[in-house]
Amino acid sequence: MTESFLEVRNISKAYAGVQALKDVSLSIGAGEVHCLVGENGSGKSTLIKCIGGVVTPDSGEILIGGRVYEHLQAIDSIRAGVQIIYQDLSLYPNVSVAENISLNQFVERRASFINWKEVRDIAARGLSEIGENINLDARVEDLSVAKRQIVAITRSLTQGAKLIIMDEPTSAITRDDVDHLFSVIARLKQKGIAILFISHKLSEVFEIAEMVTIIRDGQKVGDYPTAELDDRKLTFLMTGRNIDYTPYVVPAEKRQGTPILEVRGLSRRGHFQDVSFSLWPGEILGLTGLIGSGRTELALSLFGLNPPDAGTILLNGSPVHIRSPQDAVRLGIGYLPEDRLSQGLFTVQSIGDNIVITVLRKLLGFLHLLDPARVKKTQDDWIGELKIKTPSSRASALSLSGGNQQRVVLAKWLATQPKVFILDCPTIGIDISSKSNIHEIIRSLAEKGMAILVISDEIPEILHNCNRVLVMREGTLRKEIADATAVGEPELLSIISGKAGNGTAQA
Amino acid sequence: MKTGIFKRNEFYLLLVIVVFGAAITIVNPAFLTVENMFDLIRSSSGMAILAVGFFVVLLSGGIDLSFPAVAIVAQYITVNAIIALGIDNLWLAFAISSVIGIAFGAVNAFFISFFKIPTMIATLATMNIFHGLLLEFVGTKSINVGQLPHCFTNFGLTNLFTLARPDGSTYGLSVFFAVLVGVVLVTWVILRFTVMGRAIYAMGGNMEAVRRSGFNIRRTQFFIYCYVGLLASIMGIIHVSLIRYSNPTYIIDSDMMHVIAAVVLGGASILGGSGTLTGTILGVIMISLLEKNLVLLGLSSYWQQFFVGLILVLGISITHIQKRIQGRRSLALARE
Repeated sequence: MTESFLEVRNISKAYAGVQALKDVSLSIGAGEVHCLVGENGSGKSTLIKCIGGVVTPDSGEILIGGRVYEHLQAIDSIRAGVQIIYQDLSLYPNVSVAENISLNQFVERRASFINWKEVRDIAARGLSEIGENINLDARVEDLSVAKRQIVAITRSLTQGAKLIIMDEPTSAITRDDVDHLFSVIARLKQKGIAILFISHKLSEVFEIAEMVTIIRDGQKVGDYPTAELDDRKLTFLMTGRNIDYTPYVVPAEKRQGTPILEVRGLSRRGHFQDVSFSLWPGEILGLTGLIGSGRTELALSLFGLNPPDAGTILLNGSPVHIRSPQDAVRLGIGYLPEDRLSQGLFTVQSIGDNIVITVLRKLLGFLHLLDPARVKKTQDDWIGELKIKTPSSRASALSLSGGNQQRVVLAKWLATQPKVFILDCPTIGIDISSKSNIHEIIRSLAEKGMAILVISDEIPEILHNCNRVLVMREGTLRKEIADATAVGEPELLSIISGKAGNGTAQA
Repeated sequence: MKTGIFKRNEFYLLLVIVVFGAAITIVNPAFLTVENMFDLIRSSSGMAILAVGFFVVLLSGGIDLSFPAVAIVAQYITVNAIIALGIDNLWLAFAISSVIGIAFGAVNAFFISFFKIPTMIATLATMNIFHGLLLEFVGTKSINVGQLPHCFTNFGLTNLFTLARPDGSTYGLSVFFAVLVGVVLVTWVILRFTVMGRAIYAMGGNMEAVRRSGFNIRRTQFFIYCYVGLLASIMGIIHVSLIRYSNPTYIIDSDMMHVIAAVVLGGASILGGSGTLTGTILGVIMISLLEKNLVLLGLSSYWQQFFVGLILVLGISITHIQKRIQGRRSLALARE
């Protein structure tokens, strides 16, 4: 057993009476890749903030490199070699890669003047240390998210990191980029740098971590060697309950007659080519593929946000032109966007206002003014229907948890009574228990006869909820899996990445 | 990444300046003479100094609308003080006005950094506070050329060197130009070679990230707003020396629009974080040409106001469109 680089001993922290952390201990050895998992609100972030010296725990102690810190300050933590890479990466988008990597060192040194040669040297050395090659003069905003991440890691490294903490680093990058990131992490490990990886995406945890620490409700559930865990056990430990999946099956005879949505030879240059498929009422059709496979672009086209160059879209057998979201809504198509905060919610407005925004026109009364009674009824109906946990429809949408926010966005679209409902990554950033709740909602909508198209890159989500699956790769529809129960996760993964051929997957 | 001269906003701006200059020259050959150029420099130096200050604030992601008020307050108090003290010395005048400019800048910085008020609202409010206090407590009477201490009039007539006209009379390059060059150089060094200067760029890009890096944002904000205050106070002295008249009720509001238009035209993003000093100076040249030469092209001087507004709105639109295109491009890159 290597000597621990970081020792967190029995720390507790309460905020205004809420116990965020209770008696949590954690130990990370040099060069160890450790994973911290827990649902949103489990206390993960508070623990990280304590280690980073941003939050002072009420009790307990933190040892870094064998030294005890009573009141760990942010600067102590940095000097001791702890670097936190937040989800937003904290980069400066408008300046060069070299400056992004090096500037903080000058700040830390309290230097007055910049030495441009040194700026480049630090950056070049840092990048070569982890075997990366990024143009030092490129501006960070022109880089892909994956490259930005490498820049952030390089910055941590050049600041003398001995422990790099990464918050959800895989949430915004493609599968290939995740593999690449893991190879970088392997290099860091060889250098004796420890990594603490925070995630709630189950599959990735297993690939990289040696040890997994699970916390739930502010308390540590335990430390487990990765080999001892599987998906099911991890889910159980994180949520405290088993979540079972029953596959969603739609009998083949329901897929006869005119489909509600049919797409024929749809193309948009640079996005996708010659895509054809049909969707029948009552179906949950999965659409998956890597980021960049064209799946989101296709969905946007169906919603009038990305007009196709060629091909036809038919609704109930008759061709339609969808040039704008207004057209789409009028034709009975709903679209739940991938990024609910920026595209789906009016975060500063109330929950109620968010729900009725799509149907205001239907709620007009006297003199064409809004009818308050009907507005209120619509809001309350949906809050009840989707079990949105809020004291009042007037509460701000921002006050809700991720799962409840997503329900508000769902309510907003359901209020338009769509016949075809497209959901783009409906459970991204939502913890497991809320996730299964959203899945139940989706299923009950389909059972009531709505036609649903779910886009996701989480394979279990696709397999457990869809009756049929479309796989896109490089802009074309590569495979249609008519029976989602017939394929396993590894097969679907290989179809998506196109690496291992199509194996035994059933068409 | 911006590579090559043709992709740079500065290049196109220069092109427009050349074309516009050529058009004026065709209509009036007297435009393209050394004397006229010198005159243009003399009358535009003050605006250029303000533009440099405004550029620095914009770069950091802020906006300062109080500088016209700071300039006039510093100017009027200084002129009055010099008259009252009876010490007719330009250095003393600069010292007094600088103290006032920096003090007002500090007031702005105080509201912005301690109360986290949006910079535009804070400085819009302080603009009125500063100007209101001036009119109430210092006075409203303007000071004309007869009352104006000689140090100002002399400063306005000082040339770095002189050239002779064919008739034997002389004209020269105003000393204002030296002040401007000094301001540009100092600002360039700060922005390019100091850690604080780089942090100003970074702040315009991602304030939160700068905060997390452990950088002292408050100190930088004090620096930025005091620096603008200082530049505004220098402009106040140049302004009175140029027009030989100090009117406290005259808040230089049209100048404010011109300064903002010049900086935005020069390619600085209204959202902060990008732009160059060269661009700012070119922007000032373009706006000054418009200001003084539209009449030569047969357009009434009211058109000038129209064009300045148009430039502002187009310049800002372009910045936003570029941002959008960039957003799309990074999405494409993320796909690779």
